[in-house]
Amino acid sequence: MANILIVDDSSTMRKIISRSLRQAGLVVDEIFEAGDGIEGLGVIASGKSIQLILSDINMPNMDGLEFVKTVRGNGNTTPIVMITTEGGEEIIAEAMSSGANDSIKKPFTPDQLQEKLGGLI
Amino acid sequence: MSLNADISRMSNFTEEQLAGYVIDAATEVFSTMVMMEVKGEFPLKEPVSRFKCSITGMVGFAGTYSGVISIHCPVALALKITSNMLGMECDEVNDDLNDAIGEIANMLGGSVKQVLSKGGLDVKLSIPTVISGEDYTVNSLSDNDCVVVPFTIEEHTLLVGLTLKKED
Repeated sequence: MANILIVDDSSTMRKIISRSLRQAGLVVDEIFEAGDGIEGLGVIASGKSIQLILSDINMPNMDGLEFVKTVRGNGNTTPIVMITTEGGEEIIAEAMSSGANDSIKKPFTPDQLQEKLGGLI
Repeated sequence: MSLNADISRMSNFTEEQLAGYVIDAATEVFSTMVMMEVKGEFPLKEPVSRFKCSITGMVGFAGTYSGVISIHCPVALALKITSNMLGMECDEVNDDLNDAIGEIANMLGGSVKQVLSKGGLDVKLSIPTVISGEDYTVNSLSDNDCVVVPFTIEEHTLLVGLTLKKED
């Protein structure tokens, strides 16, 4: 069982991701939600046990790239997968060089989540 | 409301190509995230700026290309779209409805951006903006640079518009 943190400024997308994880047959225990990178850092700082972080890139206040850099800068090694409309090669490369483990392009299917996340949780 | 010839030449895209990208993007977004099949039609010849009992979601581009992608949707259809996306009944205009339509605009923007920018760093996407109302008007300062594709879903029609300009 894994606890997952979803960081996305769209509450609709957070619900879709939560539902899709279960539709994909991924075994999820608790899901924490954050509306931007700053809120995401707050959830992490609260000391909750988190085994996987799914983060959007294009968000207000603190975007996903800054969020990943900050998480890694704090020494946190929890796997981070970007789930984003931003499919450009250079942006994904920047996310990966910042410390993200993988990326998933929106829109996505539950099968694509299973393929990308099955080995992480 | 057709694509300005200069814009078409500078952007290396024809109106038909851009309409095709819009149709491909909307078809993928609706089939995977909304669980609805949409049918794209030929781009509109005349602009549509006035909407009644509708909701409009917009995402801006800035950088090598600037512009806006927008989705204009009757509220009755937006309620069905939101209900499908959330997996629960949505029967009023509220934050969930605004968020769902904004997220569709965001995903459409992301898909079109991939066509405009392979790398992704030279074109920025804005955070979605959503407006709704009984009777409102949306004006672009460059309507002649816009492609608008109507989509049929059940008995409803929604419009997806793409305004585009290649920056110097």
